Amino acid sequence: MPSPEELKQRIETGIPGSLAEVEDLTGGGDHFSATVTAEAFAGLSRIEQHRLVYGVFGADIGGPIHALTLKTLTPTTISAP
Amino acid sequence: MSSPQFDPVPMAPSQGAGSTTAAPAPAEGEQQGNPIRDAIAEAIAEHRVILFMKGTPEAPACGFSARTVSILQSLDTPFAAVDILPDPRIRQELSAISSWPTIPQLFVGGELVGGCDIVTEMFESGELEQVLS
Repeated sequence: MPSPEELKQRIETGIPGSLAEVEDLTGGGDHFSATVTAEAFAGLSRIEQHRLVYGVFGADIGGPIHALTLKTLTPTTISAP
Repeated sequence: MSSPQFDPVPMAPSQGAGSTTAAPAPAEGEQQGNPIRDAIAEAIAEHRVILFMKGTPEAPACGFSARTVSILQSLDTPFAAVDILPDPRIRQELSAISSWPTIPQLFVGGELVGGCDIVTEMFESGELEQVLS
């Protein structure tokens, strides 16, 4: 069963320059929610952005990772703290 | 081996299930081509708004599918629905066509709009209504 930390690492490695926050939605290790911010998303449609993230996990989606809810952002859409 | 069957069910607003479209029957003996993939591509081309989901609009089998259905129903949009659960090959072939790994999948005008997350985001921003109109 993957952990949120592991998913975070895989996303940030698979999409260089990205920042991922991953939550286990049910505590069961197979339903996750990820918010990913990446320069790489700039100019891409939501579908294309989500495909980039799903692409990191390949066949794991629907398998060990039963559900991965995504929110994708580009750095410019985040307001300054 | 059972024949590949799925029936896109056109959902008119405030109505129950309408007429159904039968999938093409498989060839006897050797399998020619890919009847399930062809039937899926045809359904996507034929129905302007079509949702591939788990379960049916009256009885969704998963929370994400349920949420997507209720968004479409709240916009009063007619849509066709395909339950991917009866045959695992439906989901397989659909993902091959759309390059998208999860269910539900909403197509409008022959193009993938997205799954539950994207549909929800677009609904909240008003974009979905525009895409559907």
